[in-house]
Amino acid sequence: MSKTKRKVKKKDFNPEILVFCCNWCSYAGADLAGVSRFQYPPNMRIVRVMCSGRVDPSFVLKALKEGADGVLITGCHIGDCHYISGNEYTRDRFQKLHQFIIKQLGINGKRVRLEWVSASEGKRFAELITEFTNQIKELGPFKVL
Amino acid sequence: MKNITESKSGSKKELERKKLFSDAFKYLDKVYEPNLRNILKRCYQCGRCSGVCQVSKVQKFTPSKIIQLILEGFEDRVIESGVLWDCLTCNQCLKDCPEQINFADLVRMARYKMRHEADQNPSEMVAHKGIYTTISELMSRPYIEPDRNLDWIPKECKITDKGDTLYYVGCIPYFNFEFENLDNIASSTLKIMCQLEEEPIVVFKEESCCGHDLYWGQGKIKTFIKLAMKNIEMFEKAGISTIVTACAECYRTFKIDYPNIFDDFNEKFKVKHLIEYVYEKWKQNKIAFKNPNEDDKVIPFTYHDPCRLSRFLPNDNNITEKVREIFKEFKKLGYEFNEMLHNKENSLCCGVSSWMNCNEKTKALRYKRMLEAKEAGEIMVTSCPKCNIHLSCIQNDFENIASIKIMDFSEFLVDHIEVIKDEDNLEGKV
Repeated sequence: MSKTKRKVKKKDFNPEILVFCCNWCSYAGADLAGVSRFQYPPNMRIVRVMCSGRVDPSFVLKALKEGADGVLITGCHIGDCHYISGNEYTRDRFQKLHQFIIKQLGINGKRVRLEWVSASEGKRFAELITEFTNQIKELGPFKVL
Repeated sequence: MKNITESKSGSKKELERKKLFSDAFKYLDKVYEPNLRNILKRCYQCGRCSGVCQVSKVQKFTPSKIIQLILEGFEDRVIESGVLWDCLTCNQCLKDCPEQINFADLVRMARYKMRHEADQNPSEMVAHKGIYTTISELMSRPYIEPDRNLDWIPKECKITDKGDTLYYVGCIPYFNFEFENLDNIASSTLKIMCQLEEEPIVVFKEESCCGHDLYWGQGKIKTFIKLAMKNIEMFEKAGISTIVTACAECYRTFKIDYPNIFDDFNEKFKVKHLIEYVYEKWKQNKIAFKNPNEDDKVIPFTYHDPCRLSRFLPNDNNITEKVREIFKEFKKLGYEFNEMLHNKENSLCCGVSSWMNCNEKTKALRYKRMLEAKEAGEIMVTSCPKCNIHLSCIQNDFENIASIKIMDFSEFLVDHIEVIKDEDNLEGKV
């Protein structure tokens, strides 16, 4: 929240980020990032799902409710889905989630993001996590009591 | 960064959370009775509740047996079994109970107990994976300030932030996520109100949920109290004296559940459903009904009474009669009002309440209701957006009932209203 005062200093703030990775592309990408020893911030927790289409919008809201500062959903590139069209559904669903729920609840849209990462993009995965973590750090904690 | 396994107890975070909840705790006693036996003592086991129960017609569910078990001291067994998650809280049993035992209230308190004492989580039973109840919960947080879409407001209507009359929209803007055409309810209601009020109507951009679903369905009474406090603070800030809503659930919540917690809510705010609002204006000779299309064809239509506007209100509240009086007037306009087999206080349930129990068993209830509607007319009017959603949903599954047009009361009325201006009145008298 931009309006509320941050109690924690920017440097001390360690965001808690939830990442959904699809089993076939993004999880393998994360694996590759690890194997290749690319460095990225340790603030995120990965949940492996079989397809990004498995991620229901309610999972995102529940994560935010339980105290996540940001949620990132990653899946195969459009056209590469192991289940042919799973990620297309995700894309449509998340466009709606942003438009009707995240925006109307007054949550900053940058906290929830959908990205495509393939199995060979280990470097990109590391960069993406770094960038997203920095972005959340700039936004500050979601839950300011 | 903290380890995942590290426990959070005793931390500063916990203390701050406790502080926030302490306010909600203060009011909890007013709507929660820890000993369920105390509200059931009048029961003499006539068993009528089990006879009329709408759930019992599609699955094994016997309210009288549950009451007897609790009275005999097996409350923990009832709570542990989780059987009370199945109740639809349609309140049909209260209507036929000779001792006026409120079974829905018992269910509400038992759900609180099941969630907080028996650690049951019904998240699998909540429809749409619990997305709408999660939204309500998020809104109760102090750090969430909703920024709602106001694109549905018709161009000719003026709205303000501060004023006398409020149109409480409810959850409709969020329903656009999965359902279509619900904006129409909100825009029609506002159109009707705009024509009748001289002052601009208040519509909040940062409106929160009324909390009905958390209160009845989820057993989250404390979250409900927090939402209530947030809402009342918002109303007071804007200086509102009349709240008009087109949603049956919001109406019941404001009319009865909020005053139960905050004693002077009813003195401060006047709550009206759109039906009451239109009825009053009609009786004051401020509006007349007209038919824009001049066809000779008579259209038969029927009305579905939502439980929140019939059985859930005290007996002296005659909304069911008022709406029928309005519909009688429609006979002149080429409409024919037919009653369904079950009507008024006996009307059948739409099958889902508070997003709980949407399954194949309750779908049978909805199908039954739609068959009754089909016999009665081409159009089915209802005054609860949720009934509208649930009954439209079943139309996708069965072709034989797909022809019935389900409309909200506001949508049905908006084209048929004519405002009588004061000048016209004077001429008429002369």
